Amino acid sequence: MVKLLSKFIPRVAIIRKTITETHNIKTVYLEVPYDFEKPKPGQFNELYIRGAGEVPISISDITEEGLIAHTIRFVGTVTKMFIELKEGDKIGVRGPYGNGWPLSKLRDKDVLIVAGGVGLAPLRPVIREIERNRNLYGRLMILYGARTPKDLLYRHEYSRYEKIPNSKLLVTVDRGDESWTGYVGVVTKLIPKVEIEPENTIALVCGPEIMMRFTVKDLMARGLRENQVYLSLERRMRCGVGFCGHCQVGPLFVCTEGPVFSYEKIKKYFGVEQI
Amino acid sequence: MEVKQLTLIEYYGAEDDLRELFNSIKDRGYNIIGPKIVDNVIRLEELKEFSEIPRGIEDIQKPGMYKLVRGEFFRHGPDSPKKFLFPPRLLLFRVSKDWTIEIPEVEEKLIAFFGIKPCDLAAIKAMDEVQGELGDPYYRLIRKNLLIIVENCIEPGETCFCSTMETGPIAGSGFDIAYTRVEDFIVFSADSEIGVNLLKELNLRPLDSEKSTKYAKAIKRAIDKAKANFSIEGLPEKLELSLNSPAYKEITEKCLGCANCNMVCPTCFCFDVVDVPNLNGTVERIRVWDGCFSYSYAMVAGGHFRPDLWARYRHWLLHKFSYWLKQFGRFGCVGCGRCITWCPVGIDVRESIIKILNWVRTYGEVTE
Repeated sequence: MVKLLSKFIPRVAIIRKTITETHNIKTVYLEVPYDFEKPKPGQFNELYIRGAGEVPISISDITEEGLIAHTIRFVGTVTKMFIELKEGDKIGVRGPYGNGWPLSKLRDKDVLIVAGGVGLAPLRPVIREIERNRNLYGRLMILYGARTPKDLLYRHEYSRYEKIPNSKLLVTVDRGDESWTGYVGVVTKLIPKVEIEPENTIALVCGPEIMMRFTVKDLMARGLRENQVYLSLERRMRCGVGFCGHCQVGPLFVCTEGPVFSYEKIKKYFGVEQI
Repeated sequence: MEVKQLTLIEYYGAEDDLRELFNSIKDRGYNIIGPKIVDNVIRLEELKEFSEIPRGIEDIQKPGMYKLVRGEFFRHGPDSPKKFLFPPRLLLFRVSKDWTIEIPEVEEKLIAFFGIKPCDLAAIKAMDEVQGELGDPYYRLIRKNLLIIVENCIEPGETCFCSTMETGPIAGSGFDIAYTRVEDFIVFSADSEIGVNLLKELNLRPLDSEKSTKYAKAIKRAIDKAKANFSIEGLPEKLELSLNSPAYKEITEKCLGCANCNMVCPTCFCFDVVDVPNLNGTVERIRVWDGCFSYSYAMVAGGHFRPDLWARYRHWLLHKFSYWLKQFGRFGCVGCGRCITWCPVGIDVRESIIKILNWVRTYGEVTE
């Protein structure tokens, strides 16, 4: 008899902390086994809820104590199960998967982050990294947009982001409310509000596909080249190991070759209807 | 196509030798999988006796049509080796209420495919690069001791196009034994040590020149018969120029999105993993075949990347004939024609390709 040690067997993680971010988004902090590989910014894990299924979720933070955070929007069968999860509960975790953001390419460069909605989650570890090793990177510009003020992620951290030396944070919402005094409009409207030195800038973009399409267009117009813009794609990554087929964009397996692609690499397929 | 010379052994024998070969494989402890009639269809099933292999039966295969009649030679049915190497349902593990994870143990079985066709051998080679390389432990377990006896196709069917895909109708390498029925004799060749040893036990005679000529003639005829009206030269590059072609919409006007083509395809490897709760509180995680034609395939919570059938068809076709080369360095199609025969509305991938190439010739833009 032979044991079938497939790549689908999860490790058991314990939820140590949960934070309610918005009415439909929650961050869970997981304690993973000591030998679980340390994730890099931009990677994702497959989170498994017993009896419900598995979902690929970006890593949204790695704390000093080694807890791995995932920020989850309740939209599908499995993610809705996270509503009830609390401290001490167990879930399964596999990963980390994917390539992550190209941190080595960011060295000494200005970093322009453009995020939409829950797309800020995979970029938050990049902000954390720049904060921790401030002298390794150039200017930090964060442009963030959400539907309404109530949908903004990590609001409690904005004052911290603004304190990062040589940084700028601009936030916009599609629709304001009575308390909102900031920008109103889509996130691409913030692009003209920052100074960009095209030859010295790398842009990291994550958000709904339509938002990324317009962002790429505007960044190209500002003089960035195709290999200076990186996008993190969302697909149905069922296995995470380039095997189950679901996440393919053309010939590219988003789970192993991505989820982060330079626009140069993905442009042939990005924007093709229903690719 | 180029037919590799079968230099190792090229002898001939008769039906009795085939029976003896079957029995000697069985005596070595192999579970033999071969063709067998089940519900008027030739399936691949575990065989106890040589006599279970159909004789005097022929299959008629056309787009959307399959029928058994009396005749001389039958081809492959809907089953392919995938059914055994990469089963439709496989238990990955069980999780109990207290999160104890139980990993199943499986028996290390010796499996022999007896009488699969060259297209299916090519499909195994393709699977070796997907399931084998990517580390599917079940696949590797079965594959490492797998014995492959190929029946070369002297009468390819109407939906076959292995000559075009260069995978048949005569197997070139990678088998243990290949045999070819030519008129009243059977030509045997081996391509492995165990294959040679098995053939040595038989009472085979070397091919004389008369039989060699008949054999060569039969091969030539079969090669001509299994050709489609397109060539694979430059095909992946040409097809990639069709990303925005309306031809896909036209082709899929009658597509039902049933995913039959995915299921019968010997190389389609996509799968899903589902949770099956038991009454005792444990949950089983089960790997099941999935296909790019199924509605939920490219769906994510809150969105759908390929809601329309034409886009799913485009992905399927381009994956087989274009993307696969970028991913694994070969075509994902072996030309078995199963997707044509088993399509309930008879969509013929050969015609689809011709239609798309016509569009590309007229409208396709050459990009860098």
